[in-house]
Amino acid sequence: MNILNRIQGILSPLGHDLSFAGAYLIETLIALIFAVTVVAGMVYFFRKYMARVQNRIGPNRVGKFGVLQVMADGLKLMQKESIFPDGRDDLPYKIAPIIVFLGLILAFIIVPYSNLYWFGSLTVTHSNVGIILIFAILAIMPIGEIFAGISSNNKYAMLGALRAVAKDISFEVPMMLSILAIIMIASVNTSQPLNLQNIVSVQNIPFGILEPIGLFIFFISMIARASYSPFDMGESDSELVTGDTTEYGGLRFGLFYMGLFGTIFLGSMLVSVLYLGGGSGPYESSIGFIWFLIKTIVLVVISLTVWLSMPRVRIDKFVNFGWKILLPLSFINLVITGIIILGGIA
Amino acid sequence: MVEIVEEPAGKDKRKIFRVKKEDLIPAMKSFYDQGYDHLSLITGIDRRDKIEVVYHLHSFQKNEYIVVKTETLNDTVPSVTSIWKSADWDEREQYDMLGITFEGHPDLRRILLPEGWSGYPLRKNYDLSKVQFVNMDEDGNDYASFDPGDGW
Amino acid sequence: METTKPVNKYVELNMGPQHPSTHGVLRLKLLLDGETVKRVEPVIGYLHRNAEKICELDYYCDSLLYFDRMDYVNSLSMEAGFLEAAEKLLGIEPPERAKWIRTIMAELSRIASHLVWAGAYGLDLGMLTPFFYVFDLREQLLNIFTEASGSRLLTNYMSIGGVYQDFNDKIIYMIKDFINSFPKKLEEVFNLFVKNDIFISRTKGIGILEKDVAISYGVTGPMLRGSGVDYDVRKAEPYLMYDKVNFDIPVSYAKDCLGRFLVRYEEMRQSVKIVKQAINKIPDGPYFNPKAKKSLMIRLRGEGEAYGRTESSKGEFGVYLVGDGTVKPYRVRVRSPTFKNLSVLRELGKDVMIADLVAISGSIDLVFGEVDR
Repeated sequence: MNILNRIQGILSPLGHDLSFAGAYLIETLIALIFAVTVVAGMVYFFRKYMARVQNRIGPNRVGKFGVLQVMADGLKLMQKESIFPDGRDDLPYKIAPIIVFLGLILAFIIVPYSNLYWFGSLTVTHSNVGIILIFAILAIMPIGEIFAGISSNNKYAMLGALRAVAKDISFEVPMMLSILAIIMIASVNTSQPLNLQNIVSVQNIPFGILEPIGLFIFFISMIARASYSPFDMGESDSELVTGDTTEYGGLRFGLFYMGLFGTIFLGSMLVSVLYLGGGSGPYESSIGFIWFLIKTIVLVVISLTVWLSMPRVRIDKFVNFGWKILLPLSFINLVITGIIILGGIA
Repeated sequence: MVEIVEEPAGKDKRKIFRVKKEDLIPAMKSFYDQGYDHLSLITGIDRRDKIEVVYHLHSFQKNEYIVVKTETLNDTVPSVTSIWKSADWDEREQYDMLGITFEGHPDLRRILLPEGWSGYPLRKNYDLSKVQFVNMDEDGNDYASFDPGDGW
Repeated sequence: METTKPVNKYVELNMGPQHPSTHGVLRLKLLLDGETVKRVEPVIGYLHRNAEKICELDYYCDSLLYFDRMDYVNSLSMEAGFLEAAEKLLGIEPPERAKWIRTIMAELSRIASHLVWAGAYGLDLGMLTPFFYVFDLREQLLNIFTEASGSRLLTNYMSIGGVYQDFNDKIIYMIKDFINSFPKKLEEVFNLFVKNDIFISRTKGIGILEKDVAISYGVTGPMLRGSGVDYDVRKAEPYLMYDKVNFDIPVSYAKDCLGRFLVRYEEMRQSVKIVKQAINKIPDGPYFNPKAKKSLMIRLRGEGEAYGRTESSKGEFGVYLVGDGTVKPYRVRVRSPTFKNLSVLRELGKDVMIADLVAISGSIDLVFGEVDR
């Protein structure tokens, strides 16, 4: 029993097809609301945590403990005048933030959220090829960044986009190879290793313990995907102003900003699903979602700590790192995975 | 033969040498050869009837600080950029502020004020009552004008 | 059929005057080949106020104000620099107590300046957190300055003939408290930098400044000492009370950004050492020379010329004063260390990456109140 069936059950007077369509729509809407809430919470939490790390107080004026600060900032961004640079490439300029945000929301729909009491499984989409789908969607988001950088008619944005591309191609190959190792190891116990639910359910031992190298590569890739320090060369506010988003303001900038924090959360969710067993834990069938959230939030805190304490890596050094260290490591990881499977440990 | 006249020291007890404008380059070269490898400061002083240019030289080996003075009636002084690279920006600044033309300087432009500024602020006859406005053209270069509403 | 435009290999980029890492209003004209900087030309003057002219129009004692506003993170050293020249010219010797007080304040000010620099350098390299830690440390110093002068940043504490106000017990207690706790906290903060591999990789071997280039361009201060020249005005030509205290001059032979970073770090520790000795050596006595009391101050006349050299946190800060026997200086000339240090960026910024250029220009320690005056 999952949440989709329950909603469909409520809508059943509409007939089979319509009720399923309605249920999917409502679930997607819930996922959207979840994503936006998570992002808003992330921003608030990030600011409070950053303040705590830096001996400051952080937002404390709007609402109790400043909880409404994010809302106030959002309202401010909405009210701002949209400024369009001269000589922009109009269509890519306007759709770039939408691509980034849409990619984020789509990815939120596919993540396996595990169970919560009578709601059952909270997962929106039960796809048999979920893992491929989610990384295909993740590959859409850089297109938004590149559109933004190239269409802005700004040299900083252009350089930022070039850096983003160089960064993306140097971490995505090792990332996909480490995912391949996950699929290999999952295929031992399940006939559908591309299904994210199955990947979660076969993790009697979390894959992060079996494949620490893979976890390392994937975590670094997720930092680079979300592009925060130390791998924020695309934005690099002290070098390229804000890189590809230099010419954006108001709500469009807000979408990029939400994309950044959403990607941090998404990356943490993926690490927890693929390497830490997602929602598995004691009383999995009733509070799996809580386990999943706890794991994710721990990873988010680790990510933010990394963000706050690291300087930026130079782009050429990161590209070197990606191709000369991460790529061989991911191959070694594949070999180790093969040995684990043959040795029957998994 | 280069004529270097030693003058009584100033209130800071530093040796002062005076050279003629024509002898400046050979005199400076000889100072450089004596170990004064650090040109600390170039100062132009508007003495109303003439311009005095003061060079503060320093030697790291000898740990000595000397003052070399020269003067000019027609606002031109030979440039010492060929001896010390440090003179580059200093001479540009003195050109900017006092209108001293340093002959042989590779790139004598205004440095602090925008191009097109009229007058040299540190001259004693500079008219302070005339207000000039600085604006930026579309290429990001500054220019000065007397019109407050000019520019974008 | 469209004609193809000639492809321009290089991109011109205008970095500044409003840019997050130009520390104010530096404008860098860059010629880029991809990520590599082929040529860099610093353009300055966006904060130009012509303090030299303003000082010419003012009394000697009033000119001091404009020196505060030159290097605004290190204003007490600027005051000491001006007074070094002005007191020679006017023939007024401050009493010994005032000299000790000035020494202490100038050193504390140097620490404050280096702290700001370290935080801003972290920001340049993308580190957010140390910035807040160093400002937290600096806050204690600003409290000391406030207690002494009534002002946090532009203190206007020293004056011709002495200092504005004597040290009271509270200030001495605050200073002692600060120097006791500071070295440990400083080490904590600096471990955030020097124990971070990414920071090391961003600074080590970057921005090599050879010794002869540095001397030829007139570079002084930590930049010069970072290039392996053992030179400090405080030792070479001691002013105030620097010949009566015991301290070392840190020199780095690495010539790179990391060397300059470590030189500044060690300088802060040496400053603490100086203050520690000085605070116990302050003699009793007047803190002000009665020849320069307030009602007589604007009547002070200077004749002749004097050049005062001091070591500010950025390098050799010199003030050249020429008097014509009136109550106002005839010519004031400031040797701004960062002006000279910045001019060497044309050499350092060749064939480096943009990220390195930011690291290099950060390591110069630019304060534009001083460069542009």
